[in-house]
Amino acid sequence: MDNPRFPLEEFKSLLPDRFESQERLLSEYHSFLMLLEQLDRVPVPELSARQKAEIFRQSWQGWPQGWSWAWARLGLLRRPAVTFAMGIVLGCSLMFTVARSRAAVPQPPSPSQPLAVERAGYTQIYTGKVVDRLYPQIENPKIVVERPQESSVPQRVLYGTLDQGETYVVWNL
Amino acid sequence: MNGNDWISDKALIDAIQQGDRDAAACLYHRHIDRVHRICHRIVLDPSQTLDCVQEVWLKVFRSLGRFRCQRSFAAWLNAVAANTAIDHYRRWKRHGSRVDLDDPEVESLTTDERADGLQLDDRVVRQRIQEALEEISVSQRTAFVLRYYEEMPLPQIAEILGCREGTVRTHIRRCLLALRARLMAKLNQ
Repeated sequence: MDNPRFPLEEFKSLLPDRFESQERLLSEYHSFLMLLEQLDRVPVPELSARQKAEIFRQSWQGWPQGWSWAWARLGLLRRPAVTFAMGIVLGCSLMFTVARSRAAVPQPPSPSQPLAVERAGYTQIYTGKVVDRLYPQIENPKIVVERPQESSVPQRVLYGTLDQGETYVVWNL
Repeated sequence: MNGNDWISDKALIDAIQQGDRDAAACLYHRHIDRVHRICHRIVLDPSQTLDCVQEVWLKVFRSLGRFRCQRSFAAWLNAVAANTAIDHYRRWKRHGSRVDLDDPEVESLTTDERADGLQLDDRVVRQRIQEALEEISVSQRTAFVLRYYEEMPLPQIAEILGCREGTVRTHIRRCLLALRARLMAKLNQ
């Protein structure tokens, strides 16, 4: 009665609310089963051994033979866990490089800046127009505020030169 | 029963990725009949089916290096076969081709030698069915073929066709109704 390939339940779910009575539903179901039987009368012609061999020969020519080793490795890289781990490693390396280069290369104060502050640990170096105006007689003045530790009292020192670099000035403020 | 049946698809794929031609042949012979069946029922024209099947295997061998074994190879292959057949059919139709079952060459591929009236009737019925199938849209026909000939579950068909399960149901419903209406009209001609 029921066809395992096309069960009655599936038929009902495909055509819901279409039949007013159970008899009508069963009659329609049988008409569709007959339809499937009709369709089964169209067989798929079988491929001959020669056709199969020819299709394989031509398809296999498309295989990238010389790249098999590389393909296998690339296939490994496409695994999500490997890709994720590689992303993490790459990201960390990049961040580390950027952070190191920032710390290592001091930013030179721009001449147009009124006050530039450079920080290295607990030491701060002040340069710029404001400092130049405070000490107009001193060439390239810079105020260095140093603290050996975070809690210790800061020590302020003015560094600069006089006489076109002939005399070096260190003055505790 | 083939002597290599105990080797899993995954093991064969690993060997193919190292360039093993025998493993490729083994995998091919294991699945060729199903691929051919799917292509034939979607494309409908025997003169186009061979090209379509070859296109499927070309894609398979080119993509195997990137195939991830977490997924079933058979399911992936079904998807490649169905989608390649749909594309092949659409491309072929765009070029204005159609199945000509009166063509003696095609006829020889689709029917047996007719020896008596019974076989002639059978040939006419097959021809009418073929025509009715051809009048159904390729998406509807594919959903129907995968469900009733390949007996795939609806979620898998939805994944293959890249649509929702509800759309697959609609495709199948429309296909069944259209086939019945067209077939009844054609068989009563």
